[in-house]
Amino acid sequence: MNNAVTALVTPSAIPYNMPASTAPESGEVSDSDLVKRCQAGDTRAFDVLVNRYRGKVYAMTYHMIQNETEAWDLAQEAFIKAWRAMPNFKLDSAFYTWLYRIAHNVTYDWLRKKKIQGDGEFDDSHTDHRVAAGAEAVARHEPSPDTALKNAELGARINEAIAKLSPEHKQVILLREVEGMAYEEIAEIIPCTLGTVMSRLFYARKKLQEMLKDAYENAL
Amino acid sequence: MKTPSEDHDLIRFLDGEMSDAERASFQARMDADPMLKSEVQMMQRMSADLRTHLPAEMPVPYADFFNSQIQVRISQEEPITLPAVRASWFDWIRIPTLMTAAAAVAIGGFMVLQKQTTQTGNSVVHSIYVPNPSVQARTFHSEDAQATVLILEGVEAMPADRKIVGFHIERSESDQEVATTTLYGAQGQIVAVMAKDARNQPRLLSAIPRG
Amino acid sequence: MKLALTLAILCSVVGFSKAQQPAAPSVEALPAVKPATDGKVWGALVYATNDAKGLTGSTEAAPAAFADIPGRLGKVFPYQRFEILGQHLQDVFREYESWVVPTKDLFLKVDSKGPAEGGGMNLHLQFWRDQQVLVKTDAVLKEGSPLFIGGPKWREGQLLFVLVLQKSR
Repeated sequence: MNNAVTALVTPSAIPYNMPASTAPESGEVSDSDLVKRCQAGDTRAFDVLVNRYRGKVYAMTYHMIQNETEAWDLAQEAFIKAWRAMPNFKLDSAFYTWLYRIAHNVTYDWLRKKKIQGDGEFDDSHTDHRVAAGAEAVARHEPSPDTALKNAELGARINEAIAKLSPEHKQVILLREVEGMAYEEIAEIIPCTLGTVMSRLFYARKKLQEMLKDAYENAL
Repeated sequence: MKTPSEDHDLIRFLDGEMSDAERASFQARMDADPMLKSEVQMMQRMSADLRTHLPAEMPVPYADFFNSQIQVRISQEEPITLPAVRASWFDWIRIPTLMTAAAAVAIGGFMVLQKQTTQTGNSVVHSIYVPNPSVQARTFHSEDAQATVLILEGVEAMPADRKIVGFHIERSESDQEVATTTLYGAQGQIVAVMAKDARNQPRLLSAIPRG
Repeated sequence: MKLALTLAILCSVVGFSKAQQPAAPSVEALPAVKPATDGKVWGALVYATNDAKGLTGSTEAAPAAFADIPGRLGKVFPYQRFEILGQHLQDVFREYESWVVPTKDLFLKVDSKGPAEGGGMNLHLQFWRDQQVLVKTDAVLKEGSPLFIGGPKWREGQLLFVLVLQKSR
């Protein structure tokens, strides 16, 4: 046999100090420095940014579409689009805000296409803000004596309810409740007026309230 | 029937977006309106539960592979063209022609990203990801066999009494509507159908198990 | 007969793959237009062993174009006998996943990433054993340059997966 010599490559060869996730800690390379390196074509700097924010981006895509495989692909697509758009990023906002906007658009476009394809997944609409008189067709759960189980059930119910929201309602709820964004930031990301943000938040919450009503009544 | 501004007041109160004066005024309204107060309390509780059950950050499955695929894809993109910035010392990774006809070892759970020259006309393995940490993978090019080889070590052996069901498949039809692929034999007979379950795992349904 | 079998298989498969979707698919849902392809691959699962008596008796033979594959396997893997257990000639769809399924037990998912610079195809491959993915890899496959995957041990030998690019776009 005349095989080429094998070489060992492990992640330890990566030069940067890579945090497990999210925002840079003291002593780590800042986002803006990494962005500048990316803009010079440095793919390894981009890898650090991916490491830093993949958990947050994936959480967003996952909450939006609730499918592990598709969320994984969409999160990846968001990072690739961010790489492509990197030359145009002027650092006039935080990198994560900019990345989040891209991820959001990728996911929202996917949801809209899915909706257009007519699979009937969504049962509310941003054009009709009236809240249905009755709760959605969510199975009624008996109260559990076990608190942990109750929490797990509530978590499942919340996920079910989120899945039933329209893409527009889903996005404002996630931006506000999960990301903790201010109305102005949400309006910038969507983009829309502050009034629209407030209206959508109100109707999204009403919708969730209706869907989760029995869960809370049973829990009380 | 509430007006939009009342709706806005409700959510602005919930989200802490009111001034002190607005907040005091809304508080007074709540005190005078038990239904409004009850609604606010339920929405507050719901918001807390949403934050509890919808984490802002989640572990990414196959995280290393997630990164490696991004690296592979962006390395295939046109290079970023901006006003010249001094090249960093690790620019080697993005030079597509630098790849040597080398080999790599992937240790279970880790990913290896490598690039090799494609000038020789040989097949090339760019990256490997092995989910099972007890499995090791290595790849090399065999000059003798004129083949690229990917070796998996530590894979659990197939049980000796397991009968390997071989197929002879000549063509397939993919149905995106139901996400299945029908596999046909040499005589045009259906041999098997490949589908996926709700977890996106493959499900192979054999129509004609061979002797 | 063929139609009935297709329907039966699809219905039973769809029963678990689309359990949450309301509309049952019909045979009419099958695409009228063949998806675009980026190339064609030949895949085989080979039992490599030194034990001539332990061969399974499979009558599968490599197509003439790949008749030298067993000999080439012998230059890499330390076995005397290479018996093809199953084989699959498969179009690689441009936008959809393709499966290379020479056996029920070990198979390969192939996603085209487009033509490779200088010929061949960029592929994302996943090597599956039943419901378990053994390895995922990004590779460039060139005509005349097969990919050999050394898989699990079986009986007195080893199972090898062969993937060859027959032609690319």
